[in-house]
Amino acid sequence: MPLLSFCGILLFTGRPDRGGAFSIFNIAVSFVSSLILFFSIWNQDPLHQQVDWFTIGNTTFRVGILLNNLSVMMMLLVSLIATLVHIYSTRYMKGDSYLFRYWAYLGLFCFSMFGLVIADNLLLIYMFWELVGFSSYLLIGFWFTRESAVRANKKAFIMNRLGDLGFLTGIMILFTQFQTLDITELFAPNGLVAQTILSGDYWTFGTQQMPAIWLTLAGLAFFFGATAKSAQFPLHTWLPDAMEGPTSVSSLIHAATMVAAGVFLLGRIYPLFDETVLFVIASIGAFTAFMAATIALTQNDIKRILAYSTISQLGFMMLAMGVGGFNSGLFHLVTHAFFKCLLFLAAGAVIHEMHHLKDHKGLDFDHQDIRNMGGLKKYMPITFITMTLASLALIGIPFTSGYLSKDAILIQAFDWAEGKGGLVRLIPYSALLTSWLTAFYISRLIFKVFFGELRVPGYNTAAVSLHEAPAAMKNVLVILALFCLFPFFSLDPLNYDSAWLMEGMKSSPRAEHTASIFHTLIPIVVNVIALLVISLAYFWYVRREKAPDFSGNPLYRFSEGQWFFDKLYFRTFVGGTTSLARSSFLFDKRIVDGLVNLLGKVGLVLSVISHWVDRYIVDGLVNGAGLLAKAIGNFSRNFQSGRLQYYLVWMLLVVLTFFMIKYFSLAI
Amino acid sequence: MSILSLLIFLPLLAGLVILVLPASFQQRYKYVALAAVIVQMLLSAYIYINYNGNAFSGIDEESKYQLVEKLSWIRLDLGSLGQLQIDYFLGIDGLSMPFLVLTSLVMLVAILSSWEIKSNLKGYFALLLLLDTAVMGVFSALDFFLFYIFYELMLLPLYFLIGMWGGVRREYAAIKFFLYTLFGSVFMLLVIIGLYFSVVDPVTGNHTFNMVHMMNPANYVDGSIFNLAANQELFGIGARLLAFIVLFVAFAIKVPIVPLHTWLPDAHVEAPTPVSIILAGILLKIGGYGILRICVSIFPDAAIASTWWLGLIGVVSILYGALNALAQKDLKRLIAYSSVSHMGFVLLGIASVTSEGINGAMMQMISHGFLSSMLFFIVGIVYNRVHNREIPSFRGLALIMPKYTTFVMIAFFASLGLPGFSAFIAEAFSLIGAFNSESINGLIPRWMAVAGSLGILLGASYLLWTLQRMFFGQTRLMGGEDWKLKLTDINGRETLALTILAAMALLLGILPSLAFDKMNASVLELIRLVNSI
Repeated sequence: MPLLSFCGILLFTGRPDRGGAFSIFNIAVSFVSSLILFFSIWNQDPLHQQVDWFTIGNTTFRVGILLNNLSVMMMLLVSLIATLVHIYSTRYMKGDSYLFRYWAYLGLFCFSMFGLVIADNLLLIYMFWELVGFSSYLLIGFWFTRESAVRANKKAFIMNRLGDLGFLTGIMILFTQFQTLDITELFAPNGLVAQTILSGDYWTFGTQQMPAIWLTLAGLAFFFGATAKSAQFPLHTWLPDAMEGPTSVSSLIHAATMVAAGVFLLGRIYPLFDETVLFVIASIGAFTAFMAATIALTQNDIKRILAYSTISQLGFMMLAMGVGGFNSGLFHLVTHAFFKCLLFLAAGAVIHEMHHLKDHKGLDFDHQDIRNMGGLKKYMPITFITMTLASLALIGIPFTSGYLSKDAILIQAFDWAEGKGGLVRLIPYSALLTSWLTAFYISRLIFKVFFGELRVPGYNTAAVSLHEAPAAMKNVLVILALFCLFPFFSLDPLNYDSAWLMEGMKSSPRAEHTASIFHTLIPIVVNVIALLVISLAYFWYVRREKAPDFSGNPLYRFSEGQWFFDKLYFRTFVGGTTSLARSSFLFDKRIVDGLVNLLGKVGLVLSVISHWVDRYIVDGLVNGAGLLAKAIGNFSRNFQSGRLQYYLVWMLLVVLTFFMIKYFSLAI
Repeated sequence: MSILSLLIFLPLLAGLVILVLPASFQQRYKYVALAAVIVQMLLSAYIYINYNGNAFSGIDEESKYQLVEKLSWIRLDLGSLGQLQIDYFLGIDGLSMPFLVLTSLVMLVAILSSWEIKSNLKGYFALLLLLDTAVMGVFSALDFFLFYIFYELMLLPLYFLIGMWGGVRREYAAIKFFLYTLFGSVFMLLVIIGLYFSVVDPVTGNHTFNMVHMMNPANYVDGSIFNLAANQELFGIGARLLAFIVLFVAFAIKVPIVPLHTWLPDAHVEAPTPVSIILAGILLKIGGYGILRICVSIFPDAAIASTWWLGLIGVVSILYGALNALAQKDLKRLIAYSSVSHMGFVLLGIASVTSEGINGAMMQMISHGFLSSMLFFIVGIVYNRVHNREIPSFRGLALIMPKYTTFVMIAFFASLGLPGFSAFIAEAFSLIGAFNSESINGLIPRWMAVAGSLGILLGASYLLWTLQRMFFGQTRLMGGEDWKLKLTDINGRETLALTILAAMALLLGILPSLAFDKMNASVLELIRLVNSI
């Protein structure tokens, strides 16, 4: 515990540092401490330590760390890969004018990733979950003067935010039901989740009761969060765009570690899921895997192919989670982290060289387009060999790590679908199909990049100045390549059951295990057809140099357009929201504010009217009274003429009138 | 003179000093004001440190308030009506104490940003300090009459500050603001009088304006208009409900809620930067504070009856404010609408009447106080340099103002609720409280929390979009090279102000217990009070 927090602090203080050496030192320290922790925790009792954080109402939130097999494994994985990527970056990023920021962001990322895997509390996980997304935002937009990079990081953050809402909803449901977010309390074998009773329409825990649907909703909400982070359908479109970041970042964050966080989260809260949720997870996983693989078939940007490949592999992991293959999903997470990281770093080396070539010769071409590459085998043999190894692992050829984990997933998927009828059976078969597609797109990549001749337009291939990547990058590739081989994971290259990782994760619930025909059949079928597919790709891209032309095919266009998700989302959601925003502002300006101003105007008009009334009626009355008095005065003034005879006449008249009135009034 | 009175009247004193200083000292006025505010901040820090969060939780028991100061102020013998009793009655509890600290900090930042004011300095600083006094008074007054005086006293300096030092349409904005707020408070006065005639001081037997007595149903005269048991009706609805609505509208205008919010964008856009900071940082909180201290505490029965509507208004404010922010081209207006959205969480949290919700709402007010001040300060920096704040006029500011951009990113990410900053804790708990409510007391349905959480997503959208449009990409400015020279990076004073605010937001985000420990007992007490009806 103190060692860990020490590393966290180190990473933080390391952030403003301008040099990479300090960051590398920090991450190496974390790696060593993870290693120590790993050996002290693995297969031992979990370590759980907490301190009080804050009290709200009558609930005290505690923070702490929870180290069990799952988290120490993730920690080791993250720190190892991060260390390697740090070393790689010293050369890859050399000469960038904002390099210190790069190290700082990378440090922040590693810190939040470690926090994510060791946190013992869902709220804390959520915090680190978002921080991971934030550091990925920073790193995708590292070259912030590029418009596309800034767009991509905004998209990534907002899509992740959408997923976070799911996560938050899940947290709200659990908190409402259990008044705690502590993972051990909630999900231990006899934890609170296990104590709930699902009876009829109600999900009951102690005195708390909620309609049963909320249990399913909670599971779905967490899964929704995971789909965003792990780039699953329908929230996958940010990941290919995220390739705008530096390649070393893509390899660390968007291939090996961060995107795996979704799978990790599912692993942490596994007991929560009921049958419906698991089924949804499995089908989304299988669908995503298939969809992404078909897209990867036709892309030409080397990083984009790898990005879709990542999405597809993450789909496999999700599928594994969904079919109850908790351990094989996590196993695949680990093996995938190594070989995909390697693929990206090797691709980075290729891009690096192509970029140099471009700058050197003053040419203008897309240095990430595989159509411009070719024949690089001659110039970069080490990169070629390591990348091929990684591809073999990705395809799942025997003796590689990928073989062990991928077959584990496929077999478990078949086991699971056995005994379920109808469309459910499609799921394992689609996974099977996907793994063949995988074989095709990755061999297409390898063949196009490394075989044949260099195809840079308008460039004389005779004077090529390409060469192997610098030592720091090369060595990292070699180390990673070693991890693509079986001995690190299992001494028996053909049987995944003996892999120590699988053993270590077995304590997980619901891991069924049945021996069946699939165990022998599937590996054979997968590999034989995969080899056929590879040779097909070889014939298309190496022998004939050119694939049959599919570009008129609607399916081809569908795949090349990435199933048109981006367009669809842009039209419906982005367009919808912005027009909604605009109309609501119009509403605000015209109607709401209009009403207020109208009220003001009405007040003004009223005041004008009352002013008029005041001036002409009220004041008019007053003035009228004055005028009247004046008129009477004027009138009576006439009497005071001062002439005696007038007085006499008036007196006579008055007396006469008086008598007449008196007289007639009697008559009346 | 106790510390609270000192806190209230210190700025007034400084304002008087400024008034009597001869005009040749013009350039020193700001230092006088700064000194006053710094002393005030030290005082409030002292109050914060010595505040006992658990034992003295306040709310409806006078003995549980802290730093109580009670002097009889107006005593008028009214013959058969008894004695008119108005007290100078101050005191703080967990609901008001955080706001004293917030006010003094935001005031400090506002004074720091007043360096840009160039004309009529004497009047400006005097009014600003008068405003400070009024705000402090509102937060610590426990006598309704005294509260009302401070409450109305705020309007006067604000009217002049907007109307005289504001932007192009300042007069329109100032009048709109003044009339809007006055509209709310005039009716409030009627309720105050009604309450006065309903409540008696249990000790002296006189009618009283004492707010703490008003919270206890036993102090109401039998058969009086607001007596709980009497169930009087006015215009066909319960008198207590009507009074609650009237008070709520008065405070809701301040918060502001949709659809009573339209004074806010205008006032903010036209006001000079320091006044925008004060408006957003403190004055909006008076609305939330008033709802908790007065509406909910004095009329808990009516509050319970209307929570569904409060929650709905909260959700509508969150979404509507965020959507409007998304459509803005003026940066300041965008931030003004984002305030509407953020204050919606306060209402949603309060409506839940759960400890998580109300604590979250309190936290949201404090956090928004820091963050919106920071945002307005940020707008002010650009506006002062080139007198333009249209988003499309700028592009790629990160290249020419890197330090500034760092602070902008901190402020934006903090206010879109990045964990590690206070807004995250605040919004998360307002929502958790709202969600929880259906299980705990069945007051507001769960979908409101889920709908409210969409506001977080929209928040990310408009802020990130702004970042993309204004700060990233290659530098391209509407004013060309001329602007490029003017847009210098932030100086020491600006850095100081922004650092204070960012540090507070970060501190509360990582150690929310700094605030929760002081508020929690009072919040629980408030919930007990509401549920006891």
